[in-house]
Amino acid sequence: MKNIILSLLLVLGLTVSAQKITVSGYVKDGITKEALIGATVVNANTKTGTSTNQYGFFSLTVPVADTIEILISYQGYKLQAKKIVAKENLQLDVLLDNANNNLGEVVVTAGRNNRNVQKAQMGVIDVPIKAIKNLPVLMGERDVLKIIQLLPGVQGGQEGTTGFYVRGGNLDQNLVQLDEATVYNPNHLFGLFSTFNVNSINHVQLIKGGFPAEYGGRLSSILNITMKEGNKAKYQTEGGIGLLSANLTFQGPIQKNKSSFIISARRSYIDLLLKPFTSKSTAYRFYDLNAKMNYELGKKDHLYFSFFKGNDNAGYTGANSFNYHTDFGNTTATFRWNHLLGSKIFSNTSLVYNDYHLGLGTTQNNYYEVLYTGIKDINAKTDFTYTPNSKHKIKAGITYTYHTLYPAAVSAKIPRRGNQITINKDSITKRPSNEFAFYAADDYDVSKTFSLNYGVRIPLFTSSGITYTAIEPRVTAKISLNPTTSIKASWTQMNQFLHSVPNSTASLPTDIWLSSSAKVKPQQSSQIAVGLFKNFKDNSIEASAEIYYKTMNNQVLFKEGSQIVLSTNLDSILTFGNGKSYGLELFVKKNFGRLTGWASYTLSKTTQHFPELNRGTEFPASFDRRHNLSLAGSYELSKHWTFSADFVFYTGRAFTLPAGRITVPVNGSLYDGVYYDFTSRNNARFRNYHRLDVSFSNKKVVKFWGKKYEREWVFGAYNLYSRLNPYFVYLTTNADTKQPEARQVSLLPIIPSVSFNFKF
Amino acid sequence: MKIFFPLIITFVLFILYSCEKTITITPPSYTSKPSIQGMLEPDSVPVIYFNRTVPYFDPKVSFASLVIRNATVQITSTSGTDVLRLDSSYDKLYCQYNYYYKGNIPVQLNNQYTLSITNGADTYTATASTSNLTKSVIDSTAFTAKFNDLYGEHEGVIVYFKDIPTQANYYRYEMARYVDTSTKLASAKIASVCLGRDSVWVHEIGRSVYSDAGQPGQQIKIVIEPAYSHTAGTRGLIYIQTIDKNAFDFFDQLDKQKLAQFNPFVEPVFLRDGQFGSKAVGYFSAMVKSIPVNYVYPE
Repeated sequence: MKNIILSLLLVLGLTVSAQKITVSGYVKDGITKEALIGATVVNANTKTGTSTNQYGFFSLTVPVADTIEILISYQGYKLQAKKIVAKENLQLDVLLDNANNNLGEVVVTAGRNNRNVQKAQMGVIDVPIKAIKNLPVLMGERDVLKIIQLLPGVQGGQEGTTGFYVRGGNLDQNLVQLDEATVYNPNHLFGLFSTFNVNSINHVQLIKGGFPAEYGGRLSSILNITMKEGNKAKYQTEGGIGLLSANLTFQGPIQKNKSSFIISARRSYIDLLLKPFTSKSTAYRFYDLNAKMNYELGKKDHLYFSFFKGNDNAGYTGANSFNYHTDFGNTTATFRWNHLLGSKIFSNTSLVYNDYHLGLGTTQNNYYEVLYTGIKDINAKTDFTYTPNSKHKIKAGITYTYHTLYPAAVSAKIPRRGNQITINKDSITKRPSNEFAFYAADDYDVSKTFSLNYGVRIPLFTSSGITYTAIEPRVTAKISLNPTTSIKASWTQMNQFLHSVPNSTASLPTDIWLSSSAKVKPQQSSQIAVGLFKNFKDNSIEASAEIYYKTMNNQVLFKEGSQIVLSTNLDSILTFGNGKSYGLELFVKKNFGRLTGWASYTLSKTTQHFPELNRGTEFPASFDRRHNLSLAGSYELSKHWTFSADFVFYTGRAFTLPAGRITVPVNGSLYDGVYYDFTSRNNARFRNYHRLDVSFSNKKVVKFWGKKYEREWVFGAYNLYSRLNPYFVYLTTNADTKQPEARQVSLLPIIPSVSFNFKF
Repeated sequence: MKIFFPLIITFVLFILYSCEKTITITPPSYTSKPSIQGMLEPDSVPVIYFNRTVPYFDPKVSFASLVIRNATVQITSTSGTDVLRLDSSYDKLYCQYNYYYKGNIPVQLNNQYTLSITNGADTYTATASTSNLTKSVIDSTAFTAKFNDLYGEHEGVIVYFKDIPTQANYYRYEMARYVDTSTKLASAKIASVCLGRDSVWVHEIGRSVYSDAGQPGQQIKIVIEPAYSHTAGTRGLIYIQTIDKNAFDFFDQLDKQKLAQFNPFVEPVFLRDGQFGSKAVGYFSAMVKSIPVNYVYPE
């Protein structure tokens, strides 16, 4: 197989010019030797460049010359210039110095580049770890997903629910990967925190459009999270104690400058502290564990092993006889082998395992639902990146995943006596399926002003004798108007073979994952986007305006009135339709200086059309939000103090409210004689959601027992002005007046927090 | 720890006790329309409920404020045209008057009826037939203390009856019995201030309707969750109503919608256009009742 891929790459590649050489190597942090992902490497003579991949590797073809100057930059690090003799192929490993301790002018000149404007990619946002570490925290927990929700085109669910919505796509249309392993539920405490411990993360990247061909299997976004490799130079310990949990990270060399490890653990302890004060029905705990080790076998080979395990267990009793008990978690393991074939071909081969389960028992309004959904994936894939010259970067790869899904659910009225129905997870019918994909793509700098990223992905899915295949073209084009301005356009098609069917009425994530079958066809999307990208003030301010139009076919919802019983064939209670979303996204980001942050605004509309729902007419998706505004910023008040804040505003989510009331004389029936006249689905809105979070942090290097260590106090407030944002709304009849009324349940008022972090 | 502990307590108070309040929702625009409900029963005079639907949060809840007065309601058949008049009766159970249009000519078997309602410039028409309605025969009854169905685990009155062969049939359960203020409807005590120490004769209608699809001519078993509480020795009369397809379709939708209203894990059910199209909701149907059987609750 490897030979076939290599041959293909060679066919796709162009003839290498005899007057050119290749400079390749790794860009790493000068102290920890951690790979720097997305660092820019530019030939100062020709102004051509590239960026490092997920492992910090780059390959740059340059003309033969006596000396050339290579500029290496990365946000938050000092720019480095290397003069090299360019007579023959050369390995160049670069260590960049962190500019973290400097303020003002020094930082202003460090790491600036215009790759966001000049690269033929759009809808891709790299989230700096610094931003994640600086923005306000909820109950002392720094969070990747909370930051993701502040980006243009991305919106969070309502409080207390999981996940995020990207460009009109449902929650299941986001592929969240941690070191290439899929994390099906990346949340703790129903979306209040993500499962990713910030101290163990190296890099976060969100792709919401213009998808490169290497990614597939989801319609709306790819969230790539790369774990740190571990400090290769010295042992390091960092940790934090918050209101809800404590975390500890330990990293260091296994063999100095050659191999390293990192292990990071976090556990909530609120269940232990509050045991005397709370009932047995109300309890909460979560934990997560990240571990990674890597080993350099030589100059050409590098091995990585990553492991992640996170789990939540919660019980809650609240309003409207609402209570739940849940246990959910993810386990992932990734083994990767990087191999260099010469200086132009980088290959990575991965074996990935992941195991996800969600068990949920919930009651509301005297009815209960019990569900269990489990997914196990075994994945193998290999990818090649071939850089034949400075104009082309060719990628190709093949992947295979064996999915096993085992979903089951049941819902019924709470019995007057006796036990509720339970689900034995061992007796759930397993639904195995196979997913293959092949892809090839070329990043092609056609001229100094025109670049193209084009490719194709061909997925193939089989399950129970049914086979689906598709051809997914991916094209992104860029035209530079000047060094700081460009126009980009992209067109991508995607297919999705796993579906999470959302319940539009329940206030909890009662989504059930199903694989495609004879009845459940793959979801398909086609998305076009056009954007204007402009940098200001020597690339210190990035701005963009993008418009997109996305169509989504074979969307899945539950049929009207479907109550799930254990014997229900889940496929039989589904209904299928289409969706479309279009919108305008504005984004301004300031990366440098004492004040950093961004503002994003999205104006969008998302509708769905299901022949069997809403009398066959189009209706707004439940997560359709017309306006979505996010402001996030961080200001360094002094050498030690930093103030951060974020503000979000979005239109309330749509829900279905009966427009009319029909009184039916029913004599003595178990039901009252009032019925609903629904005029259209999702015809009402929750109140608009808005919230302001603030935090102050104080960071100092202090001495403890004669040894220096960094310590940080973070004081914050989530929802500073205590806006009672809606969690869910239910209808009831006032017992005294007999009048129908709506009642709103809110979860989180102002929540102050304090946390203490340390590093030595 | 001195700082942390009070903060943790504060946090827990916030997170564990969610805030709930009545809110005002901007109601979706809604145009009121008539609700027409009439079930013809042989040997009884026709009764037609002609009310208006109202916006969901409208304060009008009683039949007195919902009834559409001054309408012209007629039922035409081979027996002639029956002009129905607005009438009312007092419902001691709910302490309110029920309003309906009532005719004078008893309904006959094997006849075709056309309902015509004129209200201002609007006219609503529908037909119902008593031709294909045959009384079913109840074979036996029983009681179970534990039964599981879509509504969960509950006790049930079991009725076995024979389906009428060679035609599509639809059925509904009815029990006639006395209730008083010691009786509970579902789990709530009847809190009628009008009832005093009296008992009132009620017709308890099953919430589900049944089709004989797939079992023509066979014995059918239905299990009904009693609406009213009972004790050992509580007596009632059980009927099986044979209803027509229009009534079946209407009540089947209501049943599914009610399930969705109460069960937050079920998607809402929209009522489809029925006999009156989109101009009005409701049904105009006919039914016959089986010969009743005495029933005594064993517990």
